[in-house]
Amino acid sequence: MKSPLVKTAILLAGMYVLLKFILPLFTAPLPASLIFLYLALTFAAAAIFYTMSGAGLEDFMGPIGRFLTGEGQTGLAGTARLLVFALFPVLVGWQTYTKMAPSDVPPAENRTIHPAPPGEFVGLANPFPRTQENIMMGQGLYAAFCSPCHGANFDGKGPAAVGFNPPPANFSDPGTIAQLQESYLFWRIKKGGVGLPVEGMPWKSAMPRWEKELPDEWIWKIIMGEYAGAGQAPRTWEEEE
Amino acid sequence: MGREKFFKIALGAMVMVAGFSASWASADDPAPENGTGSVSIRLHLTEEALPGDNPNAAVWDTIQPSEFRLAPQVHWPDRIQEVTVQSVKVRGMHNGEELAILLEYDDPSEDDADAAAIEFMVGDHKAHFAHGQEMLQVEGGPVNIWYWKKAADGAVDMSAKGFQTLRPQQNQNVSATGAWQEGVWRVVFSRRLHTEDANDVQITPGEWTNVAFAFWDGQIVDGTVKEQGSQKAVSSWWYLRAEPTPDNSLYGYVVLGIAIAAGFEWLLVRKIRRGNTA
Repeated sequence: MKSPLVKTAILLAGMYVLLKFILPLFTAPLPASLIFLYLALTFAAAAIFYTMSGAGLEDFMGPIGRFLTGEGQTGLAGTARLLVFALFPVLVGWQTYTKMAPSDVPPAENRTIHPAPPGEFVGLANPFPRTQENIMMGQGLYAAFCSPCHGANFDGKGPAAVGFNPPPANFSDPGTIAQLQESYLFWRIKKGGVGLPVEGMPWKSAMPRWEKELPDEWIWKIIMGEYAGAGQAPRTWEEEE
Repeated sequence: MGREKFFKIALGAMVMVAGFSASWASADDPAPENGTGSVSIRLHLTEEALPGDNPNAAVWDTIQPSEFRLAPQVHWPDRIQEVTVQSVKVRGMHNGEELAILLEYDDPSEDDADAAAIEFMVGDHKAHFAHGQEMLQVEGGPVNIWYWKKAADGAVDMSAKGFQTLRPQQNQNVSATGAWQEGVWRVVFSRRLHTEDANDVQITPGEWTNVAFAFWDGQIVDGTVKEQGSQKAVSSWWYLRAEPTPDNSLYGYVVLGIAIAAGFEWLLVRKIRRGNTA
Protein backbone atom coordinates (compact mmCIF):
# COMPACT_ATOMS: atom_id res chain seq x y z
CA MET A 1 0.00 0.00 0.00
CA LYS A 2 1.33 3.36 -1.01
CA SER A 3 2.18 5.97 1.61
CA PRO A 4 -0.25 8.87 2.11
CA LEU A 5 2.35 11.23 0.70
CA VAL A 6 2.59 9.34 -2.59
CA LYS A 7 -1.21 9.16 -2.78
CA THR A 8 -1.39 12.93 -2.26
CA ALA A 9 1.17 13.51 -5.01
CA ILE A 10 -0.82 11.29 -7.39
CA LEU A 11 -4.02 13.12 -6.42
CA LEU A 12 -2.41 16.51 -7.11
CA ALA A 13 -1.03 15.34 -10.46
CA GLY A 14 -4.46 13.97 -11.39
CA MET A 15 -6.18 17.19 -10.39
CA TYR A 16 -3.69 19.20 -12.44
CA VAL A 17 -4.26 17.09 -15.56
CA LEU A 18 -8.02 17.36 -15.05
CA LEU A 19 -8.04 21.14 -14.58
CA LYS A 20 -5.40 22.02 -17.15
CA PHE A 21 -6.09 19.61 -20.01
CA ILE A 22 -9.42 17.80 -19.63
CA LEU A 23 -11.70 20.59 -18.40
CA PRO A 24 -10.84 22.93 -21.34
CA LEU A 25 -12.28 20.28 -23.68
CA PHE A 26 -15.71 21.16 -22.27
CA THR A 27 -15.45 24.78 -21.17
CA ALA A 28 -13.15 27.81 -21.21
CA PRO A 29 -9.58 27.23 -19.94
CA LEU A 30 -9.10 28.05 -16.27
CA PRO A 31 -6.69 30.85 -15.33
CA ALA A 32 -3.43 29.52 -13.87
CA SER A 33 -4.14 31.32 -10.60
CA LEU A 34 -7.42 29.41 -10.20
CA ILE A 35 -5.75 26.08 -11.00
CA PHE A 36 -3.18 26.88 -8.31
CA LEU A 37 -5.95 27.68 -5.83
CA TYR A 38 -7.70 24.36 -6.52
CA LEU A 39 -4.42 22.45 -6.14
CA ALA A 40 -3.69 24.20 -2.84
CA LEU A 41 -7.19 23.29 -1.59
CA THR A 42 -6.68 19.68 -2.71
CA PHE A 43 -3.37 19.53 -0.86
CA ALA A 44 -4.90 21.03 2.26
CA ALA A 45 -7.81 18.58 2.13
CA ALA A 46 -5.44 15.60 1.72
CA ALA A 47 -3.24 16.88 4.57
CA ILE A 48 -6.24 17.19 6.90
CA PHE A 49 -7.59 13.78 5.89
CA TYR A 50 -4.32 11.91 6.38
CA THR A 51 -3.36 13.64 9.63
CA MET A 52 -6.60 13.04 11.53
CA SER A 53 -5.10 10.09 13.46
CA GLY A 54 -1.72 9.92 15.20
CA ALA A 55 -0.51 7.04 12.97
CA GLY A 56 -1.71 8.86 9.85
CA LEU A 57 0.10 11.95 11.00
CA GLU A 58 3.38 10.05 11.24
CA ASP A 59 2.78 8.33 7.87
CA PHE A 60 2.09 11.66 6.20
CA MET A 61 4.54 13.98 7.90
CA GLY A 62 7.37 11.56 8.75
CA PRO A 63 8.82 11.36 5.23
CA ILE A 64 8.61 15.16 4.90
CA GLY A 65 10.43 15.66 8.20
CA ARG A 66 13.12 13.10 7.30
CA PHE A 67 13.54 14.68 3.87
CA LEU A 68 13.94 18.16 5.35
CA THR A 69 16.42 17.14 8.06
CA GLY A 70 18.39 14.91 5.70
CA GLU A 71 18.17 12.07 8.22
CA GLY A 72 19.80 8.97 6.72
CA GLN A 73 19.80 10.37 3.21
CA THR A 74 22.51 9.64 0.68
CA GLY A 75 22.83 9.71 -3.09
CA LEU A 76 19.86 10.93 -5.10
CA ALA A 77 17.69 11.81 -2.10
CA GLY A 78 20.49 13.90 -0.61
CA THR A 79 21.03 15.74 -3.87
CA ALA A 80 17.26 16.35 -4.24
CA ARG A 81 17.19 17.79 -0.72
CA LEU A 82 20.04 20.17 -1.48
CA LEU A 83 18.34 21.20 -4.73
CA VAL A 84 15.04 21.95 -2.96
CA PHE A 85 16.85 23.98 -0.30
CA ALA A 86 18.77 25.94 -2.93
CA LEU A 87 15.79 26.45 -5.26
CA PHE A 88 13.29 27.68 -2.69
CA PRO A 89 15.15 30.94 -1.83
CA VAL A 90 15.86 31.48 -5.53
CA LEU A 91 12.15 31.13 -6.34
CA VAL A 92 11.20 33.52 -3.55
CA GLY A 93 13.76 36.02 -4.91
CA TRP A 94 12.43 35.58 -8.43
CA GLN A 95 8.85 36.03 -7.25
CA THR A 96 9.85 39.20 -5.42
CA TYR A 97 11.49 40.49 -8.60
CA THR A 98 8.57 39.71 -10.92
CA LYS A 99 6.04 41.21 -8.52
CA MET A 100 7.99 44.42 -7.99
CA ALA A 101 9.66 45.01 -11.37
CA PRO A 102 7.91 47.57 -13.63
CA SER A 103 5.51 45.73 -15.89
CA ASP A 104 3.61 46.55 -19.07
CA VAL A 105 0.55 44.75 -17.75
CA PRO A 106 -2.06 47.38 -16.92
CA PRO A 107 -4.01 47.21 -13.66
CA ALA A 108 -6.74 44.58 -13.67
CA GLU A 109 -10.23 45.93 -14.29
CA ASN A 110 -12.97 43.47 -13.55
CA ARG A 111 -15.89 44.12 -15.85
CA THR A 112 -19.29 42.72 -14.96
CA ILE A 113 -20.65 41.49 -18.28
CA HIS A 114 -24.33 41.40 -17.33
CA PRO A 115 -24.83 44.01 -14.58
CA ALA A 116 -28.27 44.55 -13.05
CA PRO A 117 -30.61 46.68 -15.17
CA PRO A 118 -32.35 49.76 -13.75
CA GLY A 119 -35.68 49.02 -12.06
CA GLU A 120 -37.86 50.48 -14.78
CA PHE A 121 -36.70 47.78 -17.22
CA VAL A 122 -37.17 44.76 -14.96
CA GLY A 123 -40.00 42.45 -15.99
CA LEU A 124 -41.01 44.25 -19.20
CA ALA A 125 -42.57 41.89 -21.72
CA ASN A 126 -42.27 42.12 -25.47
CA PRO A 127 -45.56 43.80 -26.47
CA PHE A 128 -45.44 42.42 -30.00
CA PRO A 129 -46.62 38.93 -30.92
CA ARG A 130 -43.98 36.46 -32.07
CA THR A 131 -45.31 36.23 -35.61
CA GLN A 132 -43.23 35.30 -38.62
CA GLU A 133 -43.78 38.77 -40.01
CA ASN A 134 -42.45 40.48 -36.87
CA ILE A 135 -39.45 38.15 -36.71
CA MET A 136 -38.65 38.83 -40.37
CA MET A 137 -38.88 42.56 -39.78
CA GLY A 138 -36.66 42.25 -36.71
CA GLN A 139 -34.03 40.34 -38.65
CA GLY A 140 -34.07 42.98 -41.38
CA LEU A 141 -33.52 45.72 -38.81
CA TYR A 142 -30.80 43.61 -37.18
CA ALA A 143 -29.04 43.30 -40.53
CA ALA A 144 -29.15 47.07 -40.99
CA PHE A 145 -28.22 48.28 -37.51
CA CYS A 146 -26.63 45.44 -35.51
CA SER A 147 -24.84 43.08 -37.90
CA PRO A 148 -21.82 45.36 -38.59
CA CYS A 149 -20.60 44.50 -35.08
CA HIS A 150 -22.62 41.50 -33.92
CA GLY A 151 -22.28 39.71 -37.26
CA ALA A 152 -24.65 38.45 -39.94
CA ASN A 153 -24.38 35.05 -38.23
CA PHE A 154 -25.18 36.51 -34.78
CA ASP A 155 -21.73 35.37 -33.61
CA GLY A 156 -20.21 38.74 -32.63
CA LYS A 157 -17.88 38.64 -35.62
CA GLY A 158 -19.12 41.50 -37.79
CA PRO A 159 -16.67 43.51 -39.89
CA ALA A 160 -16.53 46.28 -37.25
CA ALA A 161 -16.02 43.88 -34.33
CA VAL A 162 -12.25 43.47 -34.38
CA GLY A 163 -11.28 46.89 -33.13
CA PHE A 164 -13.43 47.01 -30.04
CA ASN A 165 -12.57 46.03 -26.49
CA PRO A 166 -14.75 44.56 -25.05
CA PRO A 167 -15.80 42.66 -28.19
CA PRO A 168 -19.46 42.69 -29.31
CA ALA A 169 -21.59 39.95 -27.73
CA ASN A 170 -21.87 36.61 -29.51
CA PHE A 171 -25.60 35.85 -29.47
CA SER A 172 -25.14 32.25 -30.65
CA ASP A 173 -23.16 31.52 -27.48
CA PRO A 174 -25.55 29.96 -24.94
CA GLY A 175 -23.91 32.15 -22.27
CA THR A 176 -25.27 35.44 -23.66
CA ILE A 177 -28.87 36.21 -24.68
CA ALA A 178 -30.10 32.72 -23.77
CA GLN A 179 -29.35 33.63 -20.13
CA LEU A 180 -31.22 36.94 -20.34
CA GLN A 181 -34.79 38.08 -20.46
CA GLU A 182 -36.12 40.17 -23.35
CA SER A 183 -36.49 43.14 -20.99
CA TYR A 184 -32.72 43.02 -20.35
CA LEU A 185 -31.96 43.19 -24.07
CA PHE A 186 -34.46 46.03 -24.41
CA TRP A 187 -32.49 48.01 -21.79
CA ARG A 188 -29.09 47.26 -23.35
CA ILE A 189 -30.19 48.16 -26.88
CA LYS A 190 -32.14 51.26 -25.85
CA LYS A 191 -29.53 52.79 -23.56
CA GLY A 192 -26.40 51.30 -25.13
CA GLY A 193 -22.95 51.16 -23.57
CA VAL A 194 -23.33 54.56 -21.93
CA GLY A 195 -26.32 53.23 -19.97
CA LEU A 196 -24.22 50.67 -18.10
CA PRO A 197 -23.46 51.11 -14.40
CA VAL A 198 -19.88 51.63 -13.27
CA GLU A 199 -19.13 47.87 -13.00
CA GLY A 200 -20.03 47.51 -16.69
CA MET A 201 -17.29 50.01 -17.65
CA PRO A 202 -19.51 52.12 -19.90
CA TRP A 203 -16.52 54.25 -20.96
CA LYS A 204 -15.21 51.39 -23.11
CA SER A 205 -18.40 50.20 -24.77
CA ALA A 206 -19.12 51.07 -28.40
CA MET A 207 -22.75 49.88 -28.17
CA PRO A 208 -24.85 52.80 -29.48
CA ARG A 209 -27.62 54.40 -27.46
CA TRP A 210 -30.29 53.32 -29.95
CA GLU A 211 -33.15 55.15 -28.24
CA LYS A 212 -31.79 58.24 -29.97
CA GLU A 213 -32.37 56.70 -33.38
CA LEU A 214 -34.81 53.77 -33.24
CA PRO A 215 -38.42 53.61 -31.98
CA ASP A 216 -39.21 51.12 -29.21
CA GLU A 217 -41.23 48.99 -31.64
CA TRP A 218 -38.15 48.39 -33.79
CA ILE A 219 -36.08 47.51 -30.74
CA TRP A 220 -38.61 44.88 -29.57
CA LYS A 221 -38.70 43.39 -33.08
CA ILE A 222 -34.89 43.39 -33.30
CA ILE A 223 -34.88 41.36 -30.06
CA MET A 224 -37.26 38.83 -31.62
CA GLY A 225 -35.11 38.66 -34.74
CA GLU A 226 -31.96 38.20 -32.68
CA TYR A 227 -33.31 35.24 -30.71
CA ALA A 228 -34.72 33.59 -33.81
CA GLY A 229 -31.58 34.16 -35.88
CA ALA A 230 -29.21 32.98 -33.13
CA GLY A 231 -31.34 29.90 -32.44
CA GLN A 232 -31.83 30.88 -28.79
CA ALA A 233 -34.85 31.47 -26.57
CA PRO A 234 -35.18 34.22 -23.97
CA ARG A 235 -34.96 33.27 -20.33
CA THR A 236 -38.31 33.41 -18.61
CA TRP A 237 -39.56 33.03 -15.06
CA GLU A 238 -42.24 30.62 -16.16
CA GLU A 239 -41.79 26.98 -15.24
CA GLU A 240 -40.55 24.84 -18.08
CA GLU A 241 -42.98 22.26 -19.32
CA MET B 1 7.72 14.36 17.15
CA GLY B 2 4.91 16.52 18.58
CA ARG B 3 1.79 17.64 16.75
CA GLU B 4 2.89 21.26 16.91
CA LYS B 5 6.14 20.42 15.17
CA PHE B 6 4.33 18.46 12.53
CA PHE B 7 2.01 21.36 11.95
CA LYS B 8 4.99 23.61 11.42
CA ILE B 9 6.50 21.15 8.96
CA ALA B 10 3.20 21.00 7.10
CA LEU B 11 3.08 24.76 7.01
CA GLY B 12 6.62 24.92 5.69
CA ALA B 13 5.91 22.33 3.04
CA MET B 14 2.80 24.20 1.96
CA VAL B 15 4.75 27.43 1.64
CA MET B 16 7.27 25.62 -0.54
CA VAL B 17 4.55 24.10 -2.69
CA ALA B 18 2.91 27.51 -2.96
CA GLY B 19 6.18 29.14 -3.99
CA PHE B 20 6.85 26.51 -6.63
CA SER B 21 3.34 26.48 -7.99
CA ALA B 22 2.84 30.22 -8.04
CA SER B 23 6.13 30.73 -9.86
CA TRP B 24 5.32 28.18 -12.46
CA ALA B 25 1.71 29.27 -12.77
CA SER B 26 2.18 33.01 -13.07
CA ALA B 27 3.27 32.94 -16.69
CA ASP B 28 0.26 31.54 -18.51
CA ASP B 29 -2.89 33.38 -17.48
CA PRO B 30 -5.42 33.80 -20.32
CA ALA B 31 -4.83 36.45 -22.96
CA PRO B 32 -6.69 39.79 -22.73
CA GLU B 33 -10.28 40.02 -23.86
CA ASN B 34 -9.57 41.13 -27.41
CA GLY B 35 -7.65 37.90 -28.03
CA THR B 36 -4.95 39.37 -30.23
CA GLY B 37 -3.01 42.59 -30.33
CA SER B 38 -1.50 44.74 -27.63
CA VAL B 39 -3.09 46.09 -24.50
CA SER B 40 -0.66 48.83 -23.55
CA ILE B 41 2.03 51.21 -24.76
CA ARG B 42 5.28 51.80 -22.94
CA LEU B 43 6.94 55.19 -23.34
CA HIS B 44 10.56 54.05 -23.12
CA LEU B 45 12.80 56.11 -20.90
CA THR B 46 15.84 57.51 -22.69
CA GLU B 47 18.58 59.97 -21.88
CA GLU B 48 19.01 60.88 -25.55
CA ALA B 49 17.26 63.74 -27.36
CA LEU B 50 13.76 62.69 -28.39
CA PRO B 51 13.00 62.31 -32.12
CA GLY B 52 9.87 64.41 -31.57
CA ASP B 53 10.11 66.07 -34.99
CA ASN B 54 11.39 63.13 -36.99
CA PRO B 55 9.05 60.23 -37.68
CA ASN B 56 11.78 58.46 -39.65
CA ALA B 57 14.53 58.70 -37.00
CA ALA B 58 16.47 55.44 -36.79
CA VAL B 59 15.92 55.23 -33.04
CA TRP B 60 12.20 54.52 -33.56
CA ASP B 61 13.06 51.20 -35.16
CA THR B 62 14.88 50.08 -32.02
CA ILE B 63 11.57 50.08 -30.13
CA GLN B 64 9.18 47.14 -30.23
CA PRO B 65 5.79 48.61 -31.27
CA SER B 66 2.44 47.92 -29.65
CA GLU B 67 -0.25 47.18 -32.25
CA PHE B 68 -3.97 47.92 -31.97
CA ARG B 69 -6.77 46.86 -34.32
CA LEU B 70 -9.17 49.59 -35.43
CA ALA B 71 -12.85 49.53 -36.28
CA PRO B 72 -15.10 51.66 -38.46
CA GLN B 73 -16.85 54.25 -36.31
CA VAL B 74 -20.31 52.74 -35.83
CA HIS B 75 -21.09 54.12 -32.41
CA TRP B 76 -22.94 57.26 -33.40
CA PRO B 77 -24.14 58.94 -36.63
CA ASP B 78 -22.78 59.60 -39.18
CA ARG B 79 -21.46 56.05 -39.20
CA ILE B 80 -19.12 54.40 -41.65
CA GLN B 81 -19.05 50.70 -42.54
CA GLU B 82 -15.58 50.34 -44.05
CA VAL B 83 -12.38 52.22 -43.29
CA THR B 84 -8.92 52.32 -44.81
CA VAL B 85 -6.78 52.16 -41.68
CA GLN B 86 -7.18 48.71 -40.13
CA SER B 87 -4.53 48.84 -37.40
CA VAL B 88 -1.88 51.09 -35.92
CA LYS B 89 1.58 50.42 -34.56
CA VAL B 90 2.50 52.69 -31.67
CA ARG B 91 5.94 53.44 -30.26
CA GLY B 92 6.74 55.90 -27.49
CA MET B 93 9.68 57.49 -25.71
CA HIS B 94 10.22 60.01 -22.96
CA ASN B 95 13.20 61.60 -21.24
CA GLY B 96 11.59 62.64 -17.97
CA GLU B 97 10.65 66.06 -19.38
CA GLU B 98 9.14 65.44 -22.79
CA LEU B 99 7.46 62.59 -24.61
CA ALA B 100 7.18 61.53 -28.23
CA ILE B 101 4.63 59.05 -29.62
CA LEU B 102 4.94 57.59 -33.12
CA LEU B 103 1.88 56.25 -34.94
CA GLU B 104 2.57 54.06 -37.96
CA TYR B 105 -0.24 52.84 -40.20
CA ASP B 106 -1.02 51.75 -43.75
CA ASP B 107 -2.77 54.19 -46.07
CA PRO B 108 -2.27 53.58 -49.81
CA SER B 109 -2.52 57.25 -50.80
CA GLU B 110 -1.09 60.50 -49.47
CA ASP B 111 -3.89 63.06 -49.27
CA ASP B 112 -4.23 66.53 -47.77
CA ALA B 113 -7.19 65.44 -45.65
CA ASP B 114 -5.38 62.42 -44.15
CA ALA B 115 -5.48 62.80 -40.37
CA ALA B 116 -4.69 61.00 -37.12
CA ALA B 117 -5.60 61.62 -33.49
CA ILE B 118 -4.67 60.36 -30.04
CA GLU B 119 -7.21 60.69 -27.24
CA PHE B 120 -6.53 60.62 -23.49
CA MET B 121 -8.70 60.65 -20.40
CA VAL B 122 -8.10 63.73 -18.25
CA GLY B 123 -8.43 63.84 -14.49
CA ASP B 124 -9.91 61.37 -12.05
CA HIS B 125 -13.20 60.57 -13.77
CA LYS B 126 -13.44 57.91 -16.44
CA ALA B 127 -14.42 59.39 -19.79
CA HIS B 128 -16.28 57.60 -22.60
CA PHE B 129 -13.97 56.93 -25.55
CA ALA B 130 -16.38 58.68 -27.92
CA HIS B 131 -15.34 62.28 -27.12
CA GLY B 132 -16.15 61.82 -23.42
CA GLN B 133 -19.87 61.59 -24.18
CA GLU B 134 -22.34 61.53 -21.31
CA MET B 135 -22.77 58.25 -19.43
CA LEU B 136 -26.15 57.71 -17.83
CA GLN B 137 -25.18 56.11 -14.53
CA VAL B 138 -21.56 57.25 -14.17
CA GLU B 139 -20.19 60.76 -13.85
CA GLY B 140 -17.74 61.06 -16.71
CA GLY B 141 -14.75 63.29 -17.27
CA PRO B 142 -13.31 65.18 -20.24
CA VAL B 143 -10.87 63.98 -22.88
CA ASN B 144 -7.79 65.59 -24.38
CA ILE B 145 -7.37 64.97 -28.12
CA TRP B 146 -4.15 65.55 -30.08
CA TYR B 147 -5.10 65.95 -33.74
CA TRP B 148 -2.80 65.99 -36.75
CA LYS B 149 -3.80 66.68 -40.35
CA LYS B 150 -1.53 66.36 -43.36
CA ALA B 151 -2.61 69.67 -44.89
CA ALA B 152 -1.42 71.63 -41.83
CA ASP B 153 1.29 69.15 -40.74
CA GLY B 154 0.97 70.32 -37.17
CA ALA B 155 -0.98 69.36 -34.09
CA VAL B 156 -4.14 70.80 -32.63
CA ASP B 157 -4.51 70.32 -28.88
CA MET B 158 -8.24 69.83 -28.23
CA SER B 159 -10.69 69.11 -25.43
CA ALA B 160 -14.14 67.53 -25.38
CA LYS B 161 -16.74 66.41 -22.88
CA GLY B 162 -19.60 65.07 -24.93
CA PHE B 163 -20.69 65.32 -28.55
CA GLN B 164 -20.57 68.78 -30.16
CA THR B 165 -18.15 70.00 -27.50
CA LEU B 166 -14.85 69.31 -29.29
CA ARG B 167 -12.84 72.57 -29.30
CA PRO B 168 -9.20 73.59 -29.76
CA GLN B 169 -7.69 74.63 -26.44
CA GLN B 170 -6.47 78.13 -25.72
CA ASN B 171 -3.03 76.78 -24.83
CA GLN B 172 -1.57 74.71 -27.63
CA ASN B 173 1.10 72.44 -26.15
CA VAL B 174 1.40 69.62 -28.67
CA SER B 175 3.44 69.41 -31.85
CA ALA B 176 3.18 66.81 -34.61
CA THR B 177 4.61 66.00 -37.98
CA GLY B 178 4.01 63.20 -40.45
CA ALA B 179 5.84 61.52 -43.29
CA TRP B 180 4.25 59.28 -45.93
CA GLN B 181 6.30 56.73 -47.79
CA GLU B 182 5.24 53.79 -49.93
CA GLY B 183 1.77 53.48 -48.47
CA VAL B 184 2.75 54.01 -44.84
CA TRP B 185 2.13 57.06 -42.68
CA ARG B 186 4.44 57.74 -39.77
CA VAL B 187 3.16 60.54 -37.57
CA VAL B 188 5.00 61.65 -34.46
CA PHE B 189 3.36 63.66 -31.67
CA SER B 190 5.38 65.34 -28.92
CA ARG B 191 4.66 67.30 -25.79
CA ARG B 192 6.01 67.91 -22.32
CA LEU B 193 5.00 65.19 -19.82
CA HIS B 194 3.43 67.85 -17.59
CA THR B 195 1.77 71.11 -18.57
CA GLU B 196 0.16 73.94 -16.62
CA ASP B 197 -3.13 73.44 -18.47
CA ALA B 198 -5.86 71.67 -16.45
CA ASN B 199 -7.47 70.57 -19.75
CA ASP B 200 -4.41 68.53 -20.69
CA VAL B 201 -3.58 64.95 -19.85
CA GLN B 202 -0.64 64.85 -17.44
CA ILE B 203 1.76 61.97 -17.93
CA THR B 204 3.49 60.87 -14.74
CA PRO B 205 6.11 58.12 -15.19
CA GLY B 206 4.93 54.88 -13.62
CA GLU B 207 1.22 55.79 -13.73
CA TRP B 208 -1.29 54.34 -16.20
CA THR B 209 -3.29 56.55 -18.55
CA ASN B 210 -6.12 55.52 -20.88
CA VAL B 211 -5.50 56.16 -24.56
CA ALA B 212 -7.47 55.72 -27.80
CA PHE B 213 -6.87 56.42 -31.50
CA ALA B 214 -8.67 57.70 -34.60
CA PHE B 215 -7.64 57.91 -38.27
CA TRP B 216 -9.14 59.47 -41.38
CA ASP B 217 -8.32 58.51 -44.97
CA GLY B 218 -8.55 61.84 -46.81
CA GLN B 219 -8.66 60.34 -50.28
CA ILE B 220 -11.06 62.11 -52.65
CA VAL B 221 -13.65 59.65 -53.97
CA ASP B 222 -16.34 60.92 -56.37
CA GLY B 223 -15.50 64.49 -55.47
CA THR B 224 -15.77 64.08 -51.69
CA VAL B 225 -13.34 63.19 -48.96
CA LYS B 226 -13.70 59.47 -48.19
CA GLU B 227 -13.46 59.76 -44.39
CA GLN B 228 -14.12 62.93 -42.42
CA GLY B 229 -15.79 64.03 -39.20
CA SER B 230 -17.31 61.08 -37.38
CA GLN B 231 -16.59 58.78 -40.32
CA LYS B 232 -13.23 57.42 -39.30
CA ALA B 233 -11.34 54.39 -38.01
CA VAL B 234 -11.33 54.21 -34.20
CA SER B 235 -10.19 52.19 -31.23
CA SER B 236 -11.73 52.12 -27.77
CA TRP B 237 -9.56 52.65 -24.68
CA TRP B 238 -6.18 51.03 -24.22
CA TYR B 239 -3.41 51.85 -21.75
CA LEU B 240 -0.25 53.94 -21.79
CA ARG B 241 2.48 54.33 -19.24
CA ALA B 242 5.74 56.26 -19.23
CA GLU B 243 8.50 54.00 -17.99
CA PRO B 244 9.52 55.05 -14.46
CA THR B 245 13.11 55.80 -13.48
CA PRO B 246 14.82 52.53 -12.48
CA ASP B 247 14.44 51.87 -8.78
CA ASN B 248 17.45 49.93 -7.48
CA SER B 249 15.78 49.29 -4.13
CA LEU B 250 14.05 46.44 -5.98
CA TYR B 251 17.26 44.40 -5.82
CA GLY B 252 17.48 45.03 -2.07
CA TYR B 253 14.02 43.50 -1.66
CA VAL B 254 15.05 40.50 -3.79
CA VAL B 255 18.08 39.88 -1.56
CA LEU B 256 15.87 40.30 1.52
CA GLY B 257 13.39 37.77 0.10
CA ILE B 258 16.16 35.24 -0.51
CA ALA B 259 17.58 35.79 2.98
CA ILE B 260 14.17 35.35 4.63
CA ALA B 261 13.49 32.16 2.64
CA ALA B 262 16.93 30.71 3.53
CA GLY B 263 16.45 31.71 7.18
CA PHE B 264 13.03 30.05 7.17
CA GLU B 265 14.56 26.81 5.86
CA TRP B 266 17.26 26.88 8.51
CA LEU B 267 14.74 27.51 11.31
CA LEU B 268 12.43 24.78 10.04
CA VAL B 269 15.17 22.13 9.94
CA ARG B 270 16.47 23.23 13.35
CA LYS B 271 12.99 22.95 14.86
CA ILE B 272 12.42 19.48 13.40
CA ARG B 273 15.85 18.23 14.57
CA ARG B 274 15.26 19.57 18.08
CA GLY B 275 11.81 17.95 18.10
CA ASN B 276 13.32 14.65 17.03
CA THR B 277 15.96 14.66 19.74
CA ALA B 278 13.69 16.00 22.50
